[in-house]
Amino acid sequence: MSELWRRCLERLEGEFGAEDIHTYLKPLQPAEGDDGLRLLAPNAYTLERIESEFLPRIRAILGHLAGRPVLVRLEVGTLNSRRAPAARVGRPTAPAASAPEPAVVEFDGNLDPNYTFDSFVEGKSNQLGKAAAIQVATNPGRAYNPLLLYGGTGLGKTHLMHAAGNLIRENNPRTKVMYLRSEQFVSAMIDALRNKNMDEFKRRFREVDALLIDDIQFFAGKNTTQEEFFHTFNALFEGKQQIILTCDKYPKEVENLEPRLKSRLGWGLSVAIEPPDFETRAAILLSKAQAKGMNLPEEVALLIAKRMRSNVRDLEGALNTLAARANFLNRVITLEFAQETLRDLLTVHAQAITVPNIQKTVADFYQLRLQDLLSKRRSRSLARPRQVAMTLSKELTEHSLPEIGEAFGGRDHTTVLHACRTIRDLTETDGKLRQDYEKLVRILTG
Amino acid sequence: MQQLPLGWRWPAQQRFDTFFATGNEATVELLRQLADGSSNGWIFLFGPEGSGRTHLLMATCQAANAQEISAQYLPLAALPAPVDGAIRGFGGSDLLVLDDLDAIAGDAAAEHALFDLYNRCRAEGSTLVFVASAPPAQIGIQLPDLVSRLSSCTQLPLRPLDDAQRREVLRSRAETRGIALDEAVLDFLFSRYARDLGSLGALLDRVDRESLAAKRRVTVPFLRQLLARGDD
Repeated sequence: MSELWRRCLERLEGEFGAEDIHTYLKPLQPAEGDDGLRLLAPNAYTLERIESEFLPRIRAILGHLAGRPVLVRLEVGTLNSRRAPAARVGRPTAPAASAPEPAVVEFDGNLDPNYTFDSFVEGKSNQLGKAAAIQVATNPGRAYNPLLLYGGTGLGKTHLMHAAGNLIRENNPRTKVMYLRSEQFVSAMIDALRNKNMDEFKRRFREVDALLIDDIQFFAGKNTTQEEFFHTFNALFEGKQQIILTCDKYPKEVENLEPRLKSRLGWGLSVAIEPPDFETRAAILLSKAQAKGMNLPEEVALLIAKRMRSNVRDLEGALNTLAARANFLNRVITLEFAQETLRDLLTVHAQAITVPNIQKTVADFYQLRLQDLLSKRRSRSLARPRQVAMTLSKELTEHSLPEIGEAFGGRDHTTVLHACRTIRDLTETDGKLRQDYEKLVRILTG
Repeated sequence: MQQLPLGWRWPAQQRFDTFFATGNEATVELLRQLADGSSNGWIFLFGPEGSGRTHLLMATCQAANAQEISAQYLPLAALPAPVDGAIRGFGGSDLLVLDDLDAIAGDAAAEHALFDLYNRCRAEGSTLVFVASAPPAQIGIQLPDLVSRLSSCTQLPLRPLDDAQRREVLRSRAETRGIALDEAVLDFLFSRYARDLGSLGALLDRVDRESLAAKRRVTVPFLRQLLARGDD
């Protein structure tokens, strides 16, 4: 039958475009059937399309080749895949009647062993989050419950969460820790509802010692899920079982999240994870490069850290890209090599960040006139924004201190240096100023 | 038993060894490694239309199949609506090639479905190749979680060939079908018809058929006539 299918495919390749072939026809795998050919489609979507668009033609060709009608059966399935079996999400794939789940497997499938506290690069932006996660992991259910880590995408929330889970299990290998992404919770619940299996669902999530759910902002607008999660939360909380959650913003700011859930989320400790600063970005690059066995010169790390500032995944992508090309060309990574390789990626991040642009953006942000910002006047209402603009110029462009001073109405470079130090100190103590500064960075680096 | 009409299409020639890799050697090699199973790093491939994207992707799927690695090509621009539903239905292959991400940029439901597919495939151990016109942050995707994940892939540019290289490719493709294209014909095609190899390749299909049917050599007047008739 495989041979018949191979010949059938050859015919089909003459009739359909290469795109149809690789989208629908080649992904089918032939298998012996009792009375004909079984074709396994990798997924339901492909199966539907084959049925609606290609099946009559397949039948005709097979019949022609075999000289008799061939029975064709379509199923979703796969033969000898090289992939690892799917990570288990605490959800039975078979309907309710299936055998009881082996409880042990389920609880080590979902934690990523690579995410540990040792492999986490600490900086000012995330040290509080790390400290809290370690405390929680050392004393689960007792220190802070829930622990909620919030902040933008790609800043290390998931890493900290897995690290906490791994440490909990390292300290006590019998602990049941379950990690899942919010959408896995949603689909597990939908499955349970469909299979009338809610008791099993509740049991599954409530018997863990620690429940880790990632990106709960995606619960927004899903009322049934929120309700169920609310009850799960209460059960775990009362049982002193640890809950660790992440969210892309402070939960009170998430729209379409039930007020009673929002208030629960605030019961424990909420810690913001901020975008890493320049030094931390460079340290992350060097540490990841080392883990990959790459030889990354410090000047290259500094270049990337300077130009890519939004999140850690960008840095990772840059490293992967450098490693792949250096490997293929058998080249050492130098500054020139990095600039050439990352040209397309670095320009995105560098675009339009000029001193005049920064000055205008800061003036707009504080509702000042540009000429006042650049004037000699030193009233507090002007001086602070001016210092912010100078610091941004130092941080976001390649200009030297004297050049920046010159651009700000011909000031001395020591004035710029003083501005940078003042703002750096203030961002540690003045929450409002720190927020403004970060907002400006985001506006400028888009 | 019904008689089968002969397939008119030129059999797929979109393999690695027919790809003109000059200027894109590293990119081609990394895709080749993905297809032969010696690497499984996720890739984000970007380049303008006419840079040979489709050819390379077909070649990748073809080569993967030859190694018994199951591969599926998913053209996001060509999916039936609702696109998010289709995306949610995907998965289950060792290698998934998602073409034309630009097509779903700004469609919140589709972006979210793709984000879920990304996470699902990570967990299942599939390898993904994303393809778009520009790097992840420049194609207008709104969901930051998706942009950052796409950014973490190995970023491979695909640079379009220059005119001289494209002429060379077209000439050699025609040659494999026994069609000789002289300089005058090439000048005519590049200045009057199109400069991207996708359109030129499609035209070549037609030229092939009609020159055979009319038993004529391919000359500028022949092409003029053929183009004047419009698409058949």
